[in-house]
Amino acid sequence: MTALLHTLLERAASRAPGRLALVDGARRVAYRDFAAAARRGAAVLRAHGLAAGDRVAVYLEKSCEESTAIFATSLAGGVIVPVNPLLRPRQVAHILADCGVHTLITTGRRHAELGGALDGLAALRRILLVDREASVADERLVPDAFAQPRAAAPAPPRHPHDLAAILYTSGSTGLPKGAMLSHAGLLAGSRIVCRYLGIRDSDRILSVLPFSFDYGLNQLLTAVEREATTVLLSFRFGNEIARAIHDQQATALAGVPGLWALLSDAAPAFRSQALPSLRYLTNSGGVVPLDTLARIRAAQPHADFILMYGFTEAFRSTYLPAAELDRRPTSIGKAIPETEVFLVDEHDRPCRPGEAGILVHDGPTIFLGYWGRAAETRAVLRPHPFRPAGAGHLVCYSGDRVRMDEDGFFYFVGRDDAMIKSAGYRISPTEVETVLLEAAAVREAAVIGLPHPVLGQAIRAFVAPRDPTAFDPDALLAFCAERMPRYMVPASVEVVEALPRTAHGKVDYPRLRERAA
Amino acid sequence: MTSEEVRGRIRAHVRAHFPLARARDVGDEDSLLDAQVIDSLGILELVAYVEQAFAIAVGDDDLTAENFQSIAALARFVERRRSAP
Repeated sequence: MTALLHTLLERAASRAPGRLALVDGARRVAYRDFAAAARRGAAVLRAHGLAAGDRVAVYLEKSCEESTAIFATSLAGGVIVPVNPLLRPRQVAHILADCGVHTLITTGRRHAELGGALDGLAALRRILLVDREASVADERLVPDAFAQPRAAAPAPPRHPHDLAAILYTSGSTGLPKGAMLSHAGLLAGSRIVCRYLGIRDSDRILSVLPFSFDYGLNQLLTAVEREATTVLLSFRFGNEIARAIHDQQATALAGVPGLWALLSDAAPAFRSQALPSLRYLTNSGGVVPLDTLARIRAAQPHADFILMYGFTEAFRSTYLPAAELDRRPTSIGKAIPETEVFLVDEHDRPCRPGEAGILVHDGPTIFLGYWGRAAETRAVLRPHPFRPAGAGHLVCYSGDRVRMDEDGFFYFVGRDDAMIKSAGYRISPTEVETVLLEAAAVREAAVIGLPHPVLGQAIRAFVAPRDPTAFDPDALLAFCAERMPRYMVPASVEVVEALPRTAHGKVDYPRLRERAA
Repeated sequence: MTSEEVRGRIRAHVRAHFPLARARDVGDEDSLLDAQVIDSLGILELVAYVEQAFAIAVGDDDLTAENFQSIAALARFVERRRSAP
């Protein structure tokens, strides 16, 4: 059988039809019904004219509907584009425009908030609402789109190397880019993680990370692959996570450093009571401070803690087996199964142990490139540096500086470029600066990331106002808050007369970093 | 410190540190949580602020949506703590 994304769900539904697939608040969905909903969803998408390879964006909170849309899109032959529900209209519009989304699946309330941001999107043909709260007139709008079964011709066959999903991620410059993932790549990521985490059908995986994040999406795929249960949760208090683990008898939790800070500092129900159902915890998206790690482990000593490292373009590169954590708690581990990871210097020569170099990834989870960005793709997907030229064997350059110890374990060092990583998110300075520069009061603006104990990095904005006497930094931040999600809004503003520039007239970021240090 | 002063200081802090509160002109009774003005990490910041600014201890059982729902709810919580022995 040719394996595609939805094959995972079809297989789980035929082998374990009655087993619990999804928990969403009070809702419980068995695999049989999950697959039936996905098939119904696929027919709706096809009836609304979705053709093979067309993009379907889903802009919803964590829910059964969001999970169903992922598999329905694959069944319909489409390409799923999960959009982080925290994004504001301008970021959503960028994604829909950039990859020419054909169908948007959302709620009536979210559609109303998007407002004029959806105007002028030529490729967007349908806005399918999962509820009936249509309040804004739009001829593309279909309220309650999934309520009635629709008849539609089956989807044309797709190939495992065809595009299955696009996940938007940021780099050191420009607006977010769409990382293109094939069915085969997503399935390899699921297979590999199932293997090294030993996921089994009795697992109940608590899913708090968004599906727009490869790590969050992978949790759902691994659960379906192993016929396990995914417990979907949106939370604001750390205690809500502890309560969900307790009430749902969750066995697994995946988080980013900020989540562990929350659970160790402000979730007494996590810190002060054993949650015996927990089998393992995993971290990705940044380095967990050692004191946070120690507090989490002390609170739940029976649970394995597995540190991992990855980047969207290659999904996951390394993991540290739990048995190694005491000996090397700052390591990101070794290569995941089926994968080779190595370090190169600026001349593409292999690094010696102890020497920091750029991490290069070679394996089945590598992405297909950035949607519509050939030059940027070539900068990341490159010929294997140690193989004969012309072999056509492409590997993925992370841009992250990493070193390896004598035993072959890797350690994250940092980055040479301006990319900011905050609260697990990659943030391009350009994207924040573009918004700052739209404010009438701003003449020049630049942002950098400063070390922050919880966030990894916090954003500092340097602003040269048009009129320094009338400039109000708080008003500028309020302006930003309307236009971007909270994790992108600068934590602080420093007023400058003019930005420092290099001899070529570019903003001198190293000088800004020195100034902030 | 009067009730009005407590509420005023919290309002000023929220508007200064949670820019969306200012952008949306969030009123004292408006929800901070539902409108995504304050996220989970923002609650951590807010706890640190009220502990320091009003010399109170925020206990384990105080971390609830009821206490952090709005500026007014947080002010009422702070006052209860301040008047408690």
